[in-house]
Amino acid sequence: MRVILAEDSTLLREGLVRLLTEEGHEVLAAVGNAELLLKAVAEDPPDVVVADVRMPPTHTDEGLRAALEIRERWPAVGVLVLSQYVEKRYATELLTGETEGVGYLLKDRVVQIDEFLDALERVAAGRAAFDPEVVRQLLGRTTHTDLLARLTVRERDVLAEMAQGHTNAAIARRLHISQSAVEKHTNAIFDKLELTGGEGYSRRVLAVLRYLGS
Amino acid sequence: MREMARRVARCGVGLIMGTATAAVELLFALMAGVALLPVAAWPTARRAVLRPVLAGARRLARWERARLAMWLDLRVTPAYEDVRALRYVACHWALGVLGGVVMLTAAIGIGYGTFGIYGWILLDGIRNPGSFVLGSLGGFFLVFLAVQGIFGVVGLEGQLARHFLGPRHQEELERRIEELSASRAAVVDAVTDERRRIERDLHDGVQQRLVALGMLLGRARRSQDADRRDRLLGQAHDESRRALDELREVAWRIYPTTLDEAGLRAALETVAERASVPVGVEYDVAEEPGQAVSTVAYFVVCEAVTNAVKHAAPTRISVAVRAEEQRMYVSVQDDGCGGANAAGSGLFGLARRVAALDGSLSVISPPGGPTLVAAELPCG
Repeated sequence: MRVILAEDSTLLREGLVRLLTEEGHEVLAAVGNAELLLKAVAEDPPDVVVADVRMPPTHTDEGLRAALEIRERWPAVGVLVLSQYVEKRYATELLTGETEGVGYLLKDRVVQIDEFLDALERVAAGRAAFDPEVVRQLLGRTTHTDLLARLTVRERDVLAEMAQGHTNAAIARRLHISQSAVEKHTNAIFDKLELTGGEGYSRRVLAVLRYLGS
Repeated sequence: MREMARRVARCGVGLIMGTATAAVELLFALMAGVALLPVAAWPTARRAVLRPVLAGARRLARWERARLAMWLDLRVTPAYEDVRALRYVACHWALGVLGGVVMLTAAIGIGYGTFGIYGWILLDGIRNPGSFVLGSLGGFFLVFLAVQGIFGVVGLEGQLARHFLGPRHQEELERRIEELSASRAAVVDAVTDERRRIERDLHDGVQQRLVALGMLLGRARRSQDADRRDRLLGQAHDESRRALDELREVAWRIYPTTLDEAGLRAALETVAERASVPVGVEYDVAEEPGQAVSTVAYFVVCEAVTNAVKHAAPTRISVAVRAEEQRMYVSVQDDGCGGANAAGSGLFGLARRVAALDGSLSVISPPGGPTLVAAELPCG
């Protein structure tokens, strides 16, 4: 996997480079601000970009802006955004428009190396990866609580996993249930949430997320 | 006693000068009157004549203000309109005359009082010593009266100047309210800035270190090779110590507990110890100041020292804190390259904090240095 990193803290940037190299990935560039990130992507588009939301000069949302621009100009490049804390606005902005190959993780999640690498691979493969905490908060904050209230506890669990970007197989593994049970649950969820149509898997997941984030 | 004599002498000089300016003012007022009289009926012409007259009045009032401040220790908050200045100029001549009379009385008194001494030296024999003693006593009594008169006239000068040149009571209140609302808004801003800085310190400093630490541990756990694992764990251990240091730094920047525990002097000494450049601290405060004052004084020193170290490349910084007459003076001087921007966020934030206590902050930093940051804080 070919990766470009954008992270202003040298310490973390170096750590990430080490980590990814050790895991056998190729780090094309590791930069400290959004401008350099865009330049690096333009020079040699990678499979996936990992970008911190806050970067110099203003330390507000340069990373996110750059991520959105990358998604627009290079749709094939996956974008994984790391954030200091859950910001609904960021997640929603990432979720609007095409939603393949997008991820939004809390920075602390990097510490769970397995989960981080898993999320990175999902994003690089054109799927989605959303932080469980982000999903939990979006679920908690959704305005469609009346619809969500119809779901059973199990269905909520499945929805949460699904919203993080996991495939049915992964959900089955994570929740220790059979794959057919997951399929049954997902169909029930779509029925209850009145979501019809949709073909691709990730599209359905993101439709749910978008619905929750609205 | 000597202080008193000096004050009387200064006021006396001030009154003599007042007599002189009063003469100028009277002349000016008369000429202005003569110039205005023929044009009084035509508004346009009146305005044209009035403009230089008012400018002159303003200038005279400014001189008067300088004289009052310099010789009579009378400070009048500057707020007046041109017309009020003209009125002042027109009225002041009477006080000038009064001051002149008082000073003449003083001169006569001194003359009589010391005549005996001259008489002693100049005349061969004194025929009637009693009349000399009486004359001297009368002279000294006259001097005593004149001194009373000087203070009386100085009081009147103050009243007149405040009446015409100072702000009216209502204006003064309004101005004070304006100042207070401005400083309140500034305090709110300063607090918000502070919170933002703390948030940044935590997220961009401590959090990054902890994530890095977690990553090291995570890599160690994934590692198959025992040697590599040990090395990564060793790095993680170091990193945990650095994270703790960082956390301590951040907590310190938020509020130095030394300030509460050991007072301003100890807190400033700690600032000096922590700086990478030699910092000399001169502390001349008899009584520990109130918490609000010492906190602001501490932050002025801390911020100024940090700024200097960061931007000016000094070889030495000297900090001086002294308290006099219910005011505290804090100054931080470095021998660095100067060119500090007083409107920059750090210094501006400090100025706001100082203003919140009704103090003032000045920054003198010519390009090439040296830089002096000085704060004056009212305390008590």
